Amino acid sequence: MTEGSIVCCGLVAVGLLLQQLIGPIRWDMMAWPMNVLVLVVLLFGILMMHLCRREVRLFRWMGTLQAGIPAMVTCAMLTILMGVTKQVPSGHQPTEPFGITSMLSFWPFVLSYLWLIILVGMVCLTRLRLPLWHNIPFLLNHLGLFIALVTGTLGNADIQDLRMAVQEGKTEWRAIDARHKVYESPITIELHDFSIKFHDSSTEPQSFTSDVTVYTKSGLKVRDTIRVNQPLAVSGWKIYQYNYETREDMGDISVFELVRDPWLPYVYLGIFMMLAGAISMFVRTPSNKSNR
Amino acid sequence: MVNWNELWLFALPALLCWMAGALLSLRGRWQKMACLMTICGLLIFGGYIALMWHSLERPPMRTMGETRLWYSFFLPLVGLITFIRWRYRWILSFSTLLSAVFICVNLLKPEIHSKEMMPALQSPWFAPHVIIYMFAYATTGVATLLALWQLCRKQDQLAAIDNLIRVGISFLTVGMLFGALWAKEAWGTYWSWDPKETWAAATWLCYLVYVHLRKSRPAMVRPALLWLVLCFLCLQMCWWGINYLPSAQGVSVHTYGG
Repeated sequence: MTEGSIVCCGLVAVGLLLQQLIGPIRWDMMAWPMNVLVLVVLLFGILMMHLCRREVRLFRWMGTLQAGIPAMVTCAMLTILMGVTKQVPSGHQPTEPFGITSMLSFWPFVLSYLWLIILVGMVCLTRLRLPLWHNIPFLLNHLGLFIALVTGTLGNADIQDLRMAVQEGKTEWRAIDARHKVYESPITIELHDFSIKFHDSSTEPQSFTSDVTVYTKSGLKVRDTIRVNQPLAVSGWKIYQYNYETREDMGDISVFELVRDPWLPYVYLGIFMMLAGAISMFVRTPSNKSNR
Repeated sequence: MVNWNELWLFALPALLCWMAGALLSLRGRWQKMACLMTICGLLIFGGYIALMWHSLERPPMRTMGETRLWYSFFLPLVGLITFIRWRYRWILSFSTLLSAVFICVNLLKPEIHSKEMMPALQSPWFAPHVIIYMFAYATTGVATLLALWQLCRKQDQLAAIDNLIRVGISFLTVGMLFGALWAKEAWGTYWSWDPKETWAAATWLCYLVYVHLRKSRPAMVRPALLWLVLCFLCLQMCWWGINYLPSAQGVSVHTYGG
């Protein structure tokens, strides 16, 4: 495992250098079509390394636990470092010179996870060549993680996340993004009624409900209620109850969050594979009654 | 109407049942009786949780005190399943002792809370997410104690530890992914690197290292067991440590109301 540790130390060192030279990673540059390009290069690279594994010792070694364990330890340590440092909100600059307060844009962190996921991809390809039946739990766990992590990370820049504040009785078509830039929303929301139910003897709300009609550009018209934990799905968008304001002069204002995540089905594919993998891992844990 | 004041009325008989089960299983001859007593204790304690659920009008899973109830319940359950499946005689004594510790904490320091539950927690995902995590914590907790036992007493418990960790990881995975699916429904993102999520990811990775290490170097026992202790420290940070961690103040959706 010495080689694996050296590689990880090297990655962290290179990452620190890159951090100083070009600064934190700009994830917004990953938006379509860049993310698809990166995905193709990643998959092609992994496939090529797999095919050349007989000729190149390094590629053969990348499919082993000796390479994988140091990579996992490095990722775990950097995640713990993230856990003990107060992180700035996404999109903000780190508050110290190293960049660890914006860990997701910290080069050593991203390079370590990239290395780990490449190793996972390599080991999946190796296993895919073996008889499938006995490898199903392994593949569900590893390939599921690969799919969820890769598509979740690459797809993140394609997520559209808008807020819309709608007055009771009015129709709204303007939305703002996280940077407070105003857009013409792809969805128009008419708020018929907004109601808050409070707990008895308390100012803490029990639930808030918006009765809305939603119009899309394609001419669709949907009347429904939106609550916390009960978003409304309309033509690729999900509309969440986000917040509310009560004003003397304008009446109730209900704030909605509109999210569109085109990569979500692939992330869910990975997540459900991992769920199946976890269940099969539980079922296949050996029972050895001979022990004591 | 049942509340925290009645806890001892249920906890005491349950503990007595579990202790009887533990003693019987130690002797090795009355194994069916040991199982039966443990089940009795589980029914009594489970009955208390059910009554609390009923009188709170929400699942008792929001405060640390309430999650401790589940922990006290799942430890003997994990102990019983392990006992039935692997026949370790000492396991019920272990789980009973641990469960007693958590019951005592709850008896001496109950965190009493009002029955309100914020809207984001009113979801069908809530109960499975927390219960599965509590089960995983209980399993890994027993495994960690076994690891410490082996480190100090040099008795080989490795097969049991490995099995418990496999079970623990599968539940950690399911709990984490259920959390992700729930977060998508409630907040629109499946993973937002909230401090609790960050620590859950770190913990999960650490336990995965253990499994892979055991596979790669079966002879490296001591470092693996020491690593397991580190994993459990991580898990404690994830479970309650972050409530005291300066870096996690005021930003976590997971901060308990107490």
